[in-house]
Amino acid sequence: MSGIIERSVDVAVIGGGPGGLGAAIKAREAGAKNVVLLERSEELGGMLPQCIHNGFGLHYFKEELSGPAYIHRLVKELAKTDVDVMTQTMAIKLEGTRITALTEKTLTRINAKAVILGMGCRERSRGNIRIPGHRPAGVFTAGTAQRLINVEGYIPGKKVVILGSGDIGMIMARRLTLEGAEVVCLVELLPFIGGLIRNEVQCLRDFNIPVYTSHTVSDVIGKNRVEKVVISQIDKELKPIPGTEKEFEADTLLLSVGLIPENELSTMTGVKLEPTGGPQVDDLWQTSVSGIFAGGNVVHVHDLADYVTESSEMAAVNAVKYINGYLPVERKVNVKGGKNIRYVVPNTIVSNQPVSFFMRVTWPLKNATVRIGGLVSKKYAFVRPSEQIRIDVPAEMMKGFREDIIVNCDGEEDVAR
Amino acid sequence: MQKVAGKFDVIVIGAGVAGAAVIRELSKYNLSAAILEKEPDVCFGATKGTHGIVHCGFPVDDAPIKNRTEMKGCLMMEQACADLDVPYQKAGKLLVAFNEEELRALQKALVSLKRNGVPGVELVTDKDRLRVMEPNISDQVIAALHTANTAVVSPWGLVFGLIENAVANGAKLYIDAKVQSITANNESGFLLQTSAGSFAAGYIVNAAGLFAGKVAGLIKDNSFVVSGTRQQRIVMDKKIEGIVRHVVRDLRATGAHGDFVSPTVYGDILLGAKVENVPEVGDLRTTREGLDGWILPRCRRLIPSLPPQMSIKPFSGYIPKAGADYLIKPSPVNSRFINIVLGGSGFSASLAVGEYVVNEILPSVGLQLQKKPGFNPIRKDIPHIHDLTDEERAELIGKDPLYGHIVCRCETVSEGEIVEAIRRGARTRDGVKFRTRSGMGRCQGGFCGPRVLRILSRELGIPVEQVTRKGEGSTEVLYRTKELLKEAKGGSK
Repeated sequence: MSGIIERSVDVAVIGGGPGGLGAAIKAREAGAKNVVLLERSEELGGMLPQCIHNGFGLHYFKEELSGPAYIHRLVKELAKTDVDVMTQTMAIKLEGTRITALTEKTLTRINAKAVILGMGCRERSRGNIRIPGHRPAGVFTAGTAQRLINVEGYIPGKKVVILGSGDIGMIMARRLTLEGAEVVCLVELLPFIGGLIRNEVQCLRDFNIPVYTSHTVSDVIGKNRVEKVVISQIDKELKPIPGTEKEFEADTLLLSVGLIPENELSTMTGVKLEPTGGPQVDDLWQTSVSGIFAGGNVVHVHDLADYVTESSEMAAVNAVKYINGYLPVERKVNVKGGKNIRYVVPNTIVSNQPVSFFMRVTWPLKNATVRIGGLVSKKYAFVRPSEQIRIDVPAEMMKGFREDIIVNCDGEEDVAR
Repeated sequence: MQKVAGKFDVIVIGAGVAGAAVIRELSKYNLSAAILEKEPDVCFGATKGTHGIVHCGFPVDDAPIKNRTEMKGCLMMEQACADLDVPYQKAGKLLVAFNEEELRALQKALVSLKRNGVPGVELVTDKDRLRVMEPNISDQVIAALHTANTAVVSPWGLVFGLIENAVANGAKLYIDAKVQSITANNESGFLLQTSAGSFAAGYIVNAAGLFAGKVAGLIKDNSFVVSGTRQQRIVMDKKIEGIVRHVVRDLRATGAHGDFVSPTVYGDILLGAKVENVPEVGDLRTTREGLDGWILPRCRRLIPSLPPQMSIKPFSGYIPKAGADYLIKPSPVNSRFINIVLGGSGFSASLAVGEYVVNEILPSVGLQLQKKPGFNPIRKDIPHIHDLTDEERAELIGKDPLYGHIVCRCETVSEGEIVEAIRRGARTRDGVKFRTRSGMGRCQGGFCGPRVLRILSRELGIPVEQVTRKGEGSTEVLYRTKELLKEAKGGSK
C-alpha cells in the first residue's frame, strides 16, 4: 500500500525543457531553499534532445551548439544544485499554487509558495486544420517525426510531402534528405515561408527542395498508409481553388503548421490567456494568478531556445522575490499590439525595471519602423512574421510610460517576398 | 489441409456491435459459441465510426423490426453499460424547431412517439425554460422536442465490454479470422475455412456488417445487397465540454442521423453529420465541403458560440444497410444461417437485436436453449487513471507502478492502462487507442505516438517497424535510420 505524499516547497517548476531547467537553476541561485522540477518525459530537455541540428546557444552561451549540447550544459549546471528533479512525473492538476502530480512511486501533492510554468507548446495536428481525405498511417507532425528519427531511430517513410514551412518542417526536410528519403515538396499556405530565413536557405534551397507557396494539402489518399498527397493552389480566403490540384505519390505527410502554447494546467487555476494561447504576463513574468509565473514557449513561441531560457530565468528571479515579499510591483500600464502587430509580450508593465518587448508582425514589410508608445522606436530593413522582434528598453526610458503602451509597425509593402 | 480450430454450436461472423451483442447473449446459455473477426481486433468496422448516440426510438412506417429493436435496445442500454462498466450518460435529446412549420412537425412527432409508448417525451415551447436546459442554444430556436432517454455511450467501449464478458462466460473470440469458404452440411451444419483455421458450426450468425453480403454469398445466398451512407463528423476538444448538455439536433435534417451537436461520455463534443450516398461502399474519406462547408456552419446554426478552431478530429462513419428496415432473418438458402444487417440507429438497437436473434430467431430454426446457471453479467473495464480519485490513483500506483507513468498527456493515460489493453487483445495503435483513449485527445498522438509504438513493440515482441495503426498495410514507421542510405549505396535491399 502506498499513500498520497504531501510536501511543501518554495518553488515548483513545471517542465524540464530549456526554460524549466534555467528557471530551476536560477530560483535556487536567487535564494529559494526548496526547488522541485517536474518533467513528464523520461529525460530532461523538452524538445531539445531531438533537435540535433546546430544554431542553439549563440546568445546565451556565446557559442553555437546543437540542441542536446545546449541542454547538456544546463543539465550539468542543474546537477551541481540540490534541486529535486522528478522526471517521468506528470502534473495533472493545479489549484492555486498547489500541484497534484503522478509518478511511478505514487501521487504527490506539492504545496509551492510559487510556481513557474514551463510546459512549452505542442504542435497543431491534422485534425486542428481539418485536412480532408482518408485517415491512414503516415501522417505525422514534424516534431513527432523528428523524435522518431533522432531519438527513437526510425524513419517514418521515404517519399515525404511536408505541409507548412515552420522551422521544424524545414529542418525535417533537410534531415529526411540526409537520411536518404525523398522530400517530394514542401507546401505553404501563405505566400511566404513561415520559419527563419537561415532555415529556408540551409534546409530548402541548399537541397533543391521544391516549394509551393500559396498552396495547401487538399486531399490525402490511402486507406491504410498514405499513398498520395494532393495539393491545391489557394484563393484569397485560403480555400483550395478547384482545378489546380497536383497529385504526388508519397508514403508520408509531415505537418509543420504551428505551435500552440500548452496551458491546460494554467487555465485549471484560473490563469487568463491571450488570444495567442499563452498566459497574460507582466514584465516580471507573473501571470494573472498571484504566485504563478511563466517563461518560455508556454507564454509565446520563441525563435530561439536562448530566449526561452532567459525569460524563464527572469520568471524565477521574480518568483523568489515574490516569496520573499518584495516583488517590485509599483504601477500598472497595459501593453497592446496596434498596427501590423500580431502580439506583444509582456501584456502589462508593473515595475520600473528595464523591459524586453517580444513581438511578431502580422504581415511582412520593408523599411519598417516599430514604435513602442510614443517614446521608443526602432528601424528594420525587413520585418516578417517568422522573425520575432525583440526590443530592450532601459529602465530610465520605461519610467516615462504612464499610460497604455500601443505598439505599432509601419513600413512599405514588401512585394519581393 | 487446415486443422480444425474449433467446433461450435453457433459461430458469429463479425465482431461489431451486432455480433458482440449476439455472442454475449449466447454466452448466457449452455452451448458452445465463437465469434470470428477478420481484422486484428474487435470493433474495427462500421461500429467504430458510429456516433455513440442511443436513440430512444423514432417510429417510422416501413421498418417494424427497427421500430421494435431500437426502442427496446435503448431501454436495455443503461443496465448493460452498468454491468459491463461502459461509460453511459443519459444526456437526453432536444430536437429543435426554428419556425412554426417545424413546430408543427414536432407536435406530430410527439403524438407518434407517445402512441408508440416511448417514455420521457415532452414538447418544450417555453423559450426561457429551453435556455435553462441548453444555455448556448441559438436564440432563433422557438421550441424543442425533449426525449429524456436519449443517451450517449462509448461505441467501442460497449463492444469491448460485450465481447470480454462473453469470453469470460465461455465464448471464444478469433481475430485475423477472415472467412474464405463455407460448406453447408444439412445434418450437422457448416464447415468454415478461415485465415485462422477451419471451424465447424451448427448455426451461423452473419453479422459481418458491410461485408455481410459477401459472407452470405459464400453459401450462394444473394438475397440482399449491402449499401449504406457515409457520415462525416468532427470531434471537438473537451475544452468546450458543457457547450451542450443534450444532443441538440436540427429538425431539418432527414433520417435519424442529421445535423447535431452532441456531448460524449468523454467530454469531447461531437458534431455531425454530412450524410451522403457515395459511389464506393464503405468509403470513409472526409471532404472539405463536408467539414467546413456543411458540418461547421450547420452546427453553428444550432449553437452559435461553437468555436471551429477547437476541432481535433474529423472522421467518417459508414452505416451499412440492406433495405428500409433492418434485415434480421434466416437465409432463404439455409435456415441455420441467420443474416443480420442493421442500419441507422443500429447501435441503439444492438442489445435488443442480440436478444431477438438468440431468443427468437435461433430457437425458431431449431437451436435448443438452456440457461447457464453460472453466467456472470459483470465485467470490469481497464482502470482509467483519468477517472479515479486521488486516493484510488495512489492505491493503484502502489499495486502497479506503471499506472503512475503517464504516456498520453492529453487524456492522462498511463503505461499501466496501455499494457492492460494489450493484455486484453490490443495489437495495434488503434486497438490501444480505443481501449485507453491514448492518442484520442487534442494532440492526436503527437506526444504519446512514439511511446505507444515502443510499448506495443515490447509487449508483443515485434520490431517497431512492424507495429501498425490498424492492421495489415498500416505500418507506422517504415525504416530504421541509416537503412535508406545503405539501400541507396547497395543498390537494392
